[in-house]
Amino acid sequence: MMRISAAVLILTLIADLISQAAGVSPPGKPRLTSCRSPEKETFTCWWEPGDDGGLPTTYALYYRLENTETVKECPDYKTAGENSCFFDKNATSLWVNYNITVVATNALGRNISEPVEVDVVYIVQPNTPENVKAVVIHEDRDPFVKVSWDKPRTADTRSGWITLHYQLRVKQEEDKEWVEYDAERQKNYNVFSLHSDREYMVQVRCKPDHGFWSEWTQTTYVKMPNYIPRERSLWIMITIFSVFIVFILTWMLKVKHNSVKLCLLPPVPGPKIKGFDKQLLKSGKSEEVFNSLVIPGFPPTTDYDDLLVEYLEVYDNEEQELVLDGKDLSEDSMKSKSPSDSDSGRGSCDSRTLLLDKCMEGSGNDQHNYSQHGETSWASSSECSESQGSPGSPESTDGRMKTWPVVFSSPQPHHHYQVGATKPAYHSVPEILKHSPSHAIPSNYHQLYLQDIPPQEGRFTKPPCRHSQSYNQFNMDNVDISEAGVPPSRSLEYVEVQRVNPENILLLRPLSDPNREPEGSDRIDEDYSKVKEVTSNNTLLLQRETSHQVVNDYSQDFESYADQCTAQQTPHPCKPVMTQLHSQDMRVMGNGYVDTTVLMPLYKQF
Amino acid sequence: MNTVKVLQVCVCVLILGQFLVSGAVPLDCKDDAGSRCASISQEKLLDRVIQHAELIYRVSEECCTLFEDMFVPYPLHVLINQAGNTCHSKHIPIPTSKSEIQQISDSWLLHSVLFLVQSWMEPLLYLQTTLDRYDDAPNALLSKTKWVSDKLLSLEQGVVVLIRKMLDEGIMASSTIFDHTQSPYDGQFPEVLESVIRDYHLLTCFKKDTHKMETFLKLLKCRQSNKLSCLPQ
Repeated sequence: MMRISAAVLILTLIADLISQAAGVSPPGKPRLTSCRSPEKETFTCWWEPGDDGGLPTTYALYYRLENTETVKECPDYKTAGENSCFFDKNATSLWVNYNITVVATNALGRNISEPVEVDVVYIVQPNTPENVKAVVIHEDRDPFVKVSWDKPRTADTRSGWITLHYQLRVKQEEDKEWVEYDAERQKNYNVFSLHSDREYMVQVRCKPDHGFWSEWTQTTYVKMPNYIPRERSLWIMITIFSVFIVFILTWMLKVKHNSVKLCLLPPVPGPKIKGFDKQLLKSGKSEEVFNSLVIPGFPPTTDYDDLLVEYLEVYDNEEQELVLDGKDLSEDSMKSKSPSDSDSGRGSCDSRTLLLDKCMEGSGNDQHNYSQHGETSWASSSECSESQGSPGSPESTDGRMKTWPVVFSSPQPHHHYQVGATKPAYHSVPEILKHSPSHAIPSNYHQLYLQDIPPQEGRFTKPPCRHSQSYNQFNMDNVDISEAGVPPSRSLEYVEVQRVNPENILLLRPLSDPNREPEGSDRIDEDYSKVKEVTSNNTLLLQRETSHQVVNDYSQDFESYADQCTAQQTPHPCKPVMTQLHSQDMRVMGNGYVDTTVLMPLYKQF
Repeated sequence: MNTVKVLQVCVCVLILGQFLVSGAVPLDCKDDAGSRCASISQEKLLDRVIQHAELIYRVSEECCTLFEDMFVPYPLHVLINQAGNTCHSKHIPIPTSKSEIQQISDSWLLHSVLFLVQSWMEPLLYLQTTLDRYDDAPNALLSKTKWVSDKLLSLEQGVVVLIRKMLDEGIMASSTIFDHTQSPYDGQFPEVLESVIRDYHLLTCFKKDTHKMETFLKLLKCRQSNKLSCLPQ
C-alpha cells in the first residue's frame, strides 16, 4: 500500500513538472459577472472565464433553487452568446433565489467559481427604447422639439407585468454635459428652450419600477430652425416703448416744469409782515427788526408833546375815574395801567358815551369835575382808574380806540360843572374847561380852553392816566378849576361847540338850549362831518354836511372839526374847531373820513 | 337673514337630492362597526392599494439596505441565504413564474395578497423589538420599520374592501388566521450573530413579499382596466 501511494505521488509530481514545463495547467477560476432579466420573465447570466491553463476548457453553469437540493445545469448556452447562460420562461421563477455557479473544466482539472445568489425580480434591466424620433414643431409659439419613442419590444407593459419609466437627454455636439429630462411613463416629451439654428443630440433610456436603467439609445439628431424668440422680441418692444414713454415724460416735465413744481411742491407762505426784514431777524437784533416795522412818524413821538391836550377828566370819586385821554409817548405814561382794559365790565364809563349818571356814584368831589359835552368832539376815551393804571397794553389801547368819549355837559343851566382839570397830559379828548360863571359869558355856555398841557403831572391832584391813544390831543389848560363842585346831575344833555373864539376857547352851548339861534335845525341831527382835507398849516377842513346822517350819538373818531369857514372865525353854521395836528399823522380815507388808526402811538415794547 | 337661511336649505336639499336622484350606485359600505363610510369607486380604490404596496416595497428595500450596510459584511450575504432559512411564506403556494401568475384568477390574486399582508404583521412587530436591541441601529431603520408596520395595516384594510367589492365576499380584517405558536420569535433573545442572521433573513423575505404584493396588484389593475389586452398570451 505504501508503495502504491508513493508511486502515485511521484507520478503526480512528475506530471506536474511535465505540465509546467509544457505550460498547461488546470483552468483558472471563472467569475460570474452579471445576471440580467430584460422583462422579468427570462434572465441571462454572463461569466468571465479564468485562465484556461493552455488546454481546452469547458464551462458549465449550475444552479440551484433555494430550499431545494437539486442542482440543474444551464438549459441554454447559446442564445445569449459566449460564456453566457440563458434561462427561458420555464426555467425562471420569481421571488426565488438562484444559487448559481460556473465550473471550468479542462484536461487537468476543474475550477469552480464563487456562488452567486440571484433573485430575478431584482435584476431587471430592460432593453433600450426603440424608434426614437425628434421633430421640430412650429406653432404659434416659439418652435420646440417633440421627442417620441417606443417601448422596448420585450417589455410587457401592456399587461402591467412591468412598468417602465423613461428618461431622455439632450445636448449640442460641442457641449460637455447632457441635460436630462424625465418623461415618467410617457412615450413622448417636448423639449423647449433650445437655441435657434443649432443641432442637438437626443438619447432615451428606460427603467422598470424596481430595477436597473437600460442603455441609452443611439443618438438622434435634430436641427432647430432659425427664429427670433418671442420672449426676446417682446422684451425689445417693451424696452422701446418704455424708453419712448420716458422721453415723452421728460419732455413734458421740461415744458411744464413750473406748473408741475407748483403742483407737487406748493409754495409755503412765508410770514408777511410789511416792512419785516428777514435779514435783520437773522442778524439777531430784534430791536432793529421791530424798529423797521415802525412806520416813520407813526405815531407822533417827540412832537407828540406838542399835541398834548389836557383831557377832560370826569370822575365822581376816587374809585371811578373816567379819563378820556390819549397817550403820551413818554415813558411816564406807561405807569398807570387800567385794571380793565376792555370795554366791558366798567359800564358806560368805558363806553363811548360817557353817561354822566353811571359814572357818578360817589359824592361829588371838589376835584372831581366833569362836564358834559354834547358835542361829538371826537376823542378817544380811555378809562383811567384811580389806581394809576397805565393803559400800557396795545390791546387796551385798541379797545379804547373804539370808544369815543363824548364829553357831556350838563344841560341845566344852573349847573356849573367844572372840568376836572386833574388830567395831566391826556391827548385825545379835549378837555373842556369850564369857565366860571363869573366870566362874561352866558352861563349856559361852556368854554373850552384849548391849551397845551404841560407834560408833568405834578400839579394835578390825580395821577395821570396815560393811555395809548392817538387822537389829536388837545392841550387843555387845567386852569382854575372852579371851586364849586357842582353836584352831578343825573340828566344827560349834549352840548355843542358853538364856536371857537380867538383865545382858543370853545364856546359850548347845550343842544337843548332854547336860546340857541336857529342856525340850522338840521345841525342837531348832524353829528358827523367829513374831513375834506388837511391843510398845510395842520388844519382840518371839513366838508359841509347837508345830509342827515344821525346814526347814533357816538362821536366819530375825528381828529377835529375844521370848517371851511374857519378862517373867517365868524359865527357860522358850522362847527369851528381847530386843533393842531400833524398832517402826516392822519390819513384821509377815501370817503373823507379820517383814519385814526395811524395815530396809534407806538409802544416801545411792541 | 332670511335669504341666508333659504340658501342653506337649498344647498342641503341639493346635496341630499343628489344622493337620491343620481344614477350612480355607490358601492356598499358595510363596516364592522356599522359606521357610515364614504363611497369610492373600485378603480380609485385599486389605485390607492397599489400605491400603498409600492410605497411599502420601497421602504422595505431601504430597510434591508440599511441593515446590510450596518450589520452584515459582504461574505455573509451568500452564507445567510444558503443557510436554509426560508421565508415563512414559502409554505404558501404562490406561483412564481409569469405564466403561472398570469393564469391565476383575480380572486386568487387578491387572496394571495391578503394572505401575504396578514402573514407579515406579527413578524414586523417582532422586528421592531429586536432592532431596538442593537446598540447602533440607525434611527432611520427603526422609524422605517415602524412606519411599514403601520402601513401594512392600512393595506390590509384596503385589500379587504377590494375583496368585498370585487368578489362580493365578506372577510374579516383581523389577522387571526395564523397560528402564533409557529412563530419562533417569542421569548428568547439570541446572540448577536444569530440575531443578525435572523433579522437579515426576515428583512429580505419581507422585501420579496412586498414586491409580490405589488406585482399582483398591478396585474389585477391591468385586468380590471383593460380586459382584453391583459389576458395571458
